[in-house]
Amino acid sequence: MKRNGIWKIAALVLLAADVGTVTAWKISSLFTVRPGSFQPPSDSAIPAGKFGDVVRFGEQIFRDPGTYARQFVGNQLRCSNCHLEAGRLGGAAPMWAAYTAYPAYRSKNGHVNSFEERLQGCFRYSMNGKVPKLGDPVLVALESYSYFLAKGLPTGETAPGRGFPALPKPALPPDYGRGAQVYAQNCASCHGAEGLGQSSGGQVVFPPLWGPQSYNWGAGMTSIKNAAEFIQANMPLGLGGTLSPQQSWDVAAFIDSQVRPQDPRFNGGVEQTRKKYHDSEYSMYGRTVNGAVLGDPDLTPPAGTVPPEAPERAEARP
Amino acid sequence: MWTGLAVGSLLAGLSQLAPAIGDQPSITTGYRIAVNGVSPERASCASCHQQNGAGQPDVGIPRLAGLSSSYIAAQLEYFATGARKDPVMSPYAAMLTPVQRQAVADYFASLPVPRQPDLIQARESTLDRGRTLFLDGDYHSGLLSCSQCHGRTGLGVSDFSPRLAGQSADYVAQKLEQWESGDLRDPKGSFMRAEASHLTQSDIAALAAFVSSLGGKEAGKP
Repeated sequence: MKRNGIWKIAALVLLAADVGTVTAWKISSLFTVRPGSFQPPSDSAIPAGKFGDVVRFGEQIFRDPGTYARQFVGNQLRCSNCHLEAGRLGGAAPMWAAYTAYPAYRSKNGHVNSFEERLQGCFRYSMNGKVPKLGDPVLVALESYSYFLAKGLPTGETAPGRGFPALPKPALPPDYGRGAQVYAQNCASCHGAEGLGQSSGGQVVFPPLWGPQSYNWGAGMTSIKNAAEFIQANMPLGLGGTLSPQQSWDVAAFIDSQVRPQDPRFNGGVEQTRKKYHDSEYSMYGRTVNGAVLGDPDLTPPAGTVPPEAPERAEARP
Repeated sequence: MWTGLAVGSLLAGLSQLAPAIGDQPSITTGYRIAVNGVSPERASCASCHQQNGAGQPDVGIPRLAGLSSSYIAAQLEYFATGARKDPVMSPYAAMLTPVQRQAVADYFASLPVPRQPDLIQARESTLDRGRTLFLDGDYHSGLLSCSQCHGRTGLGVSDFSPRLAGQSADYVAQKLEQWESGDLRDPKGSFMRAEASHLTQSDIAALAAFVSSLGGKEAGKP
């Protein structure tokens, strides 16, 4: 009897240990939907009718801007590459939180921006493209989609989950060399050893992180801080939270020390442009890396490239 | 000029591509091993996976044609070393030298992708659910879209994410269940284990049916 009891306890301990290891990864993997985060409506809640059609068009653009807004897109990125789960995921700059944060003053351009004007910035910088005019159907569709996602959220308050989760400063200053190792071990199998992304069946699946097809020097992601926060919370895709804060800072420094398209605000000289727009410890623009000055016009792909054959207006409209 | 950089990167890309195609003598060696085996007492690769690499979809033996050489070679190495455990595959892979494993991988990767011979026995609603999960994921369960790694047409990316279009539904379901149960399957299994943890049994069935129905050209509805 007693012996039997010991076995039972041993079995229970083993079971508990087993459950512990199994649930550990289940819990960490469940971070993809962050607890306590606002729950935006699903696609099935998109209303029928003309408004719903525009919301749906907005989501199509969001997932595949190179097809549905191609006249404004100058690289191989998609909105949904950084705004994960098509702008729904808290901690990955969700669109519902952005929507209720505007109109707002932005020091980036020194005036109060409407939500549409904020979207223009995405095309100019992150998409290295051309800016759609205010009221353009592409902006209206993206605004409608964001409005739809924000259903029920109060304005005038910062929604929990907005932007990326803050990351404490690293113990050691972010380091290019350590970052290169983190990149090779955790990022290169998807984004490529050269950071140029990878395709499947002719479509870009893993986005380029630098080079002429990635975000330009005006994009928020060129801030090592922004990149580190995004990476720690969300990368590797589906395994967010597995890189340490130090690894995240290091790999962000590595990625944001690479060649990428010019800042569209370039004012004739790298030094002046740095002083005016990149006067931050988190920007590598104008710094010398591997013997070359980042942003040097002779080594830097141009800003604002869109496919030359792009039509004036979008082809697909609801 | 920055164009110089772009050309350099392109060249680097091409040189990375070359070994994936495999050279002709290796393919020929791989063909002999695949069809004849390396031991008279043991069956050949082709006796299960077929000479044309089509596998046997109805009994869950995966199709190998259409997978990249680097992916097949990596899996054979995992089987041989025990990093991926499979009672059938492990002893077969362990019989091969690394050079022979690469040759077999080169042979199967060189084959044209056979058409899925069997009609997909799945209801339209099941395929619709699978299509939605595959292309868009499921925000509420936390599932990322499969297409974010395997591509919207399910063709896969190099040795990271294998081609799924037209793969045996039984095989896909078996693997998803393995990951869902918490098993890593292989040293790179952490991605799939994390995603599978968001799947229900009916989601697994829907995804397996959907990917096996893909022809590799169009994943979305017109």
